[in-house]
Amino acid sequence: MMRALARCLCLGAVIATTSACVTSTVDEMVFSEPLEGIGDSSVVILGRRHASDYETEPDFIECVGDHIAARDKSITVIGELDFINALYPWFEPRTAPLKPQDIDKLLLQEPVALKMAELKTEYMIWIDGSTVRGDSAGSMTCGVGPGGGGCFGFGTWSDDANYEAAIWDFTDQIEVGRVNTSATGQSYMPAVIIPIPIIAPVQGTACDGIGDQLLEFLSSEY
Amino acid sequence: MSRSMISAPESRALRLAAALLLLALLSACGPAEVVVKGNFPDPLMEPLPLTMGVWYGEDFAQHEFFDEAKSREESGWIVKTGQAQVQMWDKLLAGMFTDVLHMKGKPGAGQMNQLVDAVLIPHVAELQYAIPAHTNVKVYEIWMRYRFEMVTPSGKPIAEWTMTSYGKTPTAFMQSDEGAVNLAAVMALRDAGANFASNFTRVPAVQEWLQQKWQTPPQEVTP
Repeated sequence: MMRALARCLCLGAVIATTSACVTSTVDEMVFSEPLEGIGDSSVVILGRRHASDYETEPDFIECVGDHIAARDKSITVIGELDFINALYPWFEPRTAPLKPQDIDKLLLQEPVALKMAELKTEYMIWIDGSTVRGDSAGSMTCGVGPGGGGCFGFGTWSDDANYEAAIWDFTDQIEVGRVNTSATGQSYMPAVIIPIPIIAPVQGTACDGIGDQLLEFLSSEY
Repeated sequence: MSRSMISAPESRALRLAAALLLLALLSACGPAEVVVKGNFPDPLMEPLPLTMGVWYGEDFAQHEFFDEAKSREESGWIVKTGQAQVQMWDKLLAGMFTDVLHMKGKPGAGQMNQLVDAVLIPHVAELQYAIPAHTNVKVYEIWMRYRFEMVTPSGKPIAEWTMTSYGKTPTAFMQSDEGAVNLAAVMALRDAGANFASNFTRVPAVQEWLQQKWQTPPQEVTP
């Protein structure tokens, strides 16, 4: 009886896992084709946080940085918080440069110019976007009694991720490209005694998509 | 009858359990309290060649914001920002001016104080907060309005101006409301520092005072 139940649960999980897929689209605009990798320079990936109703998640920025660093070990990715702390207060939402030409004004300040030279930043990548929860449906009931507890029901929801990365060449102070990625996925949570979350990795897929495109700018191996 | 059936240690344990239960129930009714804590970086800028005094009044150094619950479903909030305010402003001003001194007393006629070019007195004039339960937007926000007085060591006014700051943080998985409000407050403090550092020399009265002091137009610190 228990084996049959376990088999049933496994089968259900497998079916549901295959259903929890993600659809992803990546668009790319290249204004200045990169000729070679960034060599011993570094790259910084920053999140835009100007909008009032959302903000680019710091963990998404970290994910993209990790994706790039893991696939090309020669690329140094400076951590977002380390960079904005090192250059405080010039990269706060209020003061951050909005276009590549603004970097010129920043570099007029000697301490900022020295710090930038020390960090050897070749590319500055601004990512703007977020992952939002879309429609949800279903219901679940949980209860606890003297003999134990359990849940029964089914829940489903969708997640939509939309991010755009603007790539600034720090040396020439121009925007060299733009990458847009959008991903949509449906997650499920069936519950027969225990809830089994089958999560669609929407944000992770968007991270991989944008990370792969950025590698083409930054890496000589791609 | 039943009292005689319970031994003394059992009775003590029951009382303790009852007291703990009562305490837990009472604490569940109390307002959510956030003592803002954060790390603030040193500003990266050329310090202005000034010896600036700073005076933190009781209202500023012990600043706290209290918002009473408006319904039984909502919780009241106490947001204590004083300690973090002092920490952030001390760090920012130390990087903005060549010398910063804490005044012995509030500048005024007859008050013996250290010799400085001017004294800055910050005040938190207003603080507002919003949590997802209030707005249905999945963002925690803190908004502050500061009022600054810049006076001579003897208390004569040089400049007075207001400045706003804003911090927000998105709803984060496994993060409590208190943790998110703290993070939003830290962001608001950072924003206050950024606003002050980039606009200090643009305040008309400050600009005029600097021109008189240096006899030359001051160099702006903003990019």
